[in-house]
Amino acid sequence: MHKLLTRQLAKAATGSGELDLEVLLRLVSEAYIQSDSDRQRTDRSIALMIQELEQLNRGLDRTVRERTAALREREAELEEQNLRFDAALENMPHGLCMFDRNERLIVCNERYGELYGLTEEQTKRGVTLRSILEARVAAGHSPEDANKYIEERLAEVRGGEPYYAENIIRDGRVLAVNHQPMHDGGWVAIHQDITAQKRAESQIAYMARHDGLTSLANRAVLLEKMEEALARLRRHGSRFTIFMLDLDLFKTVNDSLGHPVGDELLKVVASRVAGCIRDTDTVARLGGDEFAVLATIDGDQREAAIATAGKILGAVSAPYDIEGHHLHIGTSIGIALAPEHGADVEALLRNADLALYKAKSEGRDAYRFFEDAMGVEVRTRRAHQVDLRNALTNDEFELYYQPIVDIQTRRPSSIEALIRWNHPTRGMISPADFIPLAEETGLINQIGEWVLRKACDDAMDWPADTKVSVNLSAVQFRKISPIDYFIETLREAGLPSERLELEITESVLLQGNAENVETLHRLREMGISIVLDDFGTGYSSLSYLRMFPFDKIKIDRSFVHELAKNADCAAIVSAVAGLGRSMRIGTVAEGVETEDQLLLVNAAGCTHAQGYLFGRPCPVGELAFGYAAQRPKKIMVA
Amino acid sequence: MRVAQLSWSETAGWSTSPGERTNADLVFFFGTRKALTCGARYQELRAMYPDAHILGCSTGGQIRNHDVTDDEIAAAAIRFDATRLRVACEPALSPDRSRACGDAIGRQLAAPDLVGIFVLSDGLNVNGSELVAGIIGAVGKNVAVTGGLAGDGAEFHETLVGADGPPRKQMVAAVGFYGRAIRIGHGSAGGWDEFGPRRQITKSRGNILFEFDGEPALDLYERYLGEEEARGLPGSGLLFPLRIFDPERPDHDIVRTILAVDHDARSMTFAGDVPEGWTAQLMRGNFDRLAAGAAMAARQAVDGVGSPRDGDQLAILVSCIGRRLLMGQHTADELEATGAEFGPKIPQLGFYSYGEISPHRVSGVCELHNQTMTVTTIGEATG
Repeated sequence: MHKLLTRQLAKAATGSGELDLEVLLRLVSEAYIQSDSDRQRTDRSIALMIQELEQLNRGLDRTVRERTAALREREAELEEQNLRFDAALENMPHGLCMFDRNERLIVCNERYGELYGLTEEQTKRGVTLRSILEARVAAGHSPEDANKYIEERLAEVRGGEPYYAENIIRDGRVLAVNHQPMHDGGWVAIHQDITAQKRAESQIAYMARHDGLTSLANRAVLLEKMEEALARLRRHGSRFTIFMLDLDLFKTVNDSLGHPVGDELLKVVASRVAGCIRDTDTVARLGGDEFAVLATIDGDQREAAIATAGKILGAVSAPYDIEGHHLHIGTSIGIALAPEHGADVEALLRNADLALYKAKSEGRDAYRFFEDAMGVEVRTRRAHQVDLRNALTNDEFELYYQPIVDIQTRRPSSIEALIRWNHPTRGMISPADFIPLAEETGLINQIGEWVLRKACDDAMDWPADTKVSVNLSAVQFRKISPIDYFIETLREAGLPSERLELEITESVLLQGNAENVETLHRLREMGISIVLDDFGTGYSSLSYLRMFPFDKIKIDRSFVHELAKNADCAAIVSAVAGLGRSMRIGTVAEGVETEDQLLLVNAAGCTHAQGYLFGRPCPVGELAFGYAAQRPKKIMVA
Repeated sequence: MRVAQLSWSETAGWSTSPGERTNADLVFFFGTRKALTCGARYQELRAMYPDAHILGCSTGGQIRNHDVTDDEIAAAAIRFDATRLRVACEPALSPDRSRACGDAIGRQLAAPDLVGIFVLSDGLNVNGSELVAGIIGAVGKNVAVTGGLAGDGAEFHETLVGADGPPRKQMVAAVGFYGRAIRIGHGSAGGWDEFGPRRQITKSRGNILFEFDGEPALDLYERYLGEEEARGLPGSGLLFPLRIFDPERPDHDIVRTILAVDHDARSMTFAGDVPEGWTAQLMRGNFDRLAAGAAMAARQAVDGVGSPRDGDQLAILVSCIGRRLLMGQHTADELEATGAEFGPKIPQLGFYSYGEISPHRVSGVCELHNQTMTVTTIGEATG
């Protein structure tokens, strides 16, 4: 019997053991009803579940289709991205390689193989770093100590830190490695050939410390060496000496023979100076024709400095043979002793410079030790330089004029313009006192321009047969285009070129300056007269007279003064006048103050005379034209 | 320990099982709401056992040995040899305050030699998960907390609970067992079968479930129950218990039973939390497998308590009302199955509940279960 029915029968039993049929039927009926609803519920829930699962299935199908499509799309994108990546990898100038955590190659580009001479086989995926390193060594593309290189490289890789290394390869190349670890334990390394960069860097480093022309140390190195020497001085008392050198007449060589010759000369000078000192001492080129020597001294410092200076003077002044030119130059040397003349770099250099300046101003080709008084002189000169510069802007210059008279007609054939400086506190200053300074500072060019312009302007008011005579310094000849400059100035003033007379000294012709001679020829072709000034005071080489057809020669006043007393002077004046006559060159006797002197120079054969007898230099407004000693000064203004 | 079983019926009044009536330290009694409301039964028990702690509640059916009855009160009187007891009772005013209520009970019972707690809770105004969490928080995880939520047949209207007083609504009562002699075993199992797709809980608040996969939860239940059975909600909802689990811990699953539905909000209230984001799956019952589940729970409890050398043991069965609703006249199958595990010497007392309390079979943490058979065995080892 079913256990449920057994249970139902037990429940339907009455206390007396009889069966309550009504109870039993109710229980049985309830059991049927429950069974039906159980079945119905089960059926329904199973149908619903199937329905739901089918729906879910359809949804899953759809999701699978969508995701597959998305995956394919992503795959295509990845492929495209890979192509781009490959293109980027193969077109980069660096070698790139990527390794996994097991030190096996994942990817590298062709450039990587090229850098180390590796074959395709040696750089295929999965090759270990060690075998690549060994292949590099075998191909000769490793540093000298190959084993050390391999072990170091492996140790660095295993360190797991980023690093940068530069390896010098046996063939001389420098290869840089930039190593960057990745999160997964692998790494990316970029290899770059930096040979050219390294060369450029060392070149730059060399250039930063050396003079490009002479390969001597430069100023920076000199300063550094001086600091070191000062440190030694402080620690061990080791004294040292600074020599400042400035070549004499170097500018003349440069101007007359051109820069290439000048540069060659500097190189030879550099090597000669270097030959005068010990290897441990320093020669530096400070620029232009300036050199400095730092010499450590044993024994008597002053004596040793004198000996060294003497050696340098001798070496530099020995003849040079450069590109077919036989040259002579000298040098001036300023000497500062450390610690006597200064305890720091600045003071030592300044004092050596002062000594050099003194040596130069006192005749060149000599050395001078620094003295305290030099500082004062320099300060004075510096003050004068400032004044001179201001003089131009403040209009403190004036032109005075002194006639040059034709001895036969006693009329001025030309009038010489002479510059005066009307200093606000020092009064009238003569050119002898400020022209050297102007030449040194370069102000001579501006002053010269002013003189020429003013003289031409003033001459416009004079008789048409009276020329204006202007002194032209050698320095002015260095102007780039003197011809154009003269044309322009004359045009501006409106003065015909025939009325301009230029007085030059023989220094313009010194050392056979062909360019200057050429310029003089062209000026003369324009109609400008060229006068040789101060004849008799310098070399007075007759070859100058042959070199250029001067219009006049001016005989220095010292000969005229001595005419009456000194027979030699009379002879020279006669000889020069005679020479002029035979070469058809006029001769001017300077410094004629008396009628007697005039008679003498006339007798000697001079064609022209200049001096107080015919008038002192005076402002343009006081000029008299025409001269007779006994007659009133102002005769005429035509 | 000595146990005497009692029963009460309207026609016969109180009757005891064969054997002497002894003095008792603890009495459990379970009956329908109708039978307990007047309070007379409690007074009668109090008169019989003046020194005992008396705890009882309303149910969805009383278990006495292999029988489930609706018209009798089932009770047991226990005399302990060496075990001390303490009783706590707290009002359960709303599900929001369940953790505080559990905490208050735990604090009253906590002691170093506390071994186990048996809880009887209001079945409708309590969030059982929070209540248990509150107790555990106060007494610690090593104390075995078992028991159940009172029932109200298939009506879900009002439940009654009492401790040392007549059972009343909105109460939680508990008894703590102290000392080295007491042996408490426990087991819990369902035996339900999962079916249909897994769903995600997309909207919920505490123990109120609004949506599965964006669809109102009530719609799903109504569809599965069919028009006729849907009218029996919330009771008929127990025919499809809900298995829920955190997708991060799929083996730690919990079965939830329905307490109420809101047709306007299309929501369903369960006896414990139904967290948003968790996975849910419907379950269905098969008589044989439900009975097998009950047997497994009994085995776990027996294994836990061992075999005391002398004295009696009592098995307290708390089984879900949902199981009874599904099994109908087959309900006795599961009581026979548990009885077969215990043998004839251990009496079975219990009730059909709105929620069961027992340690989880995997984690060992005490928590609220639904749709399970939960077994607590009590014995003493005095030797």
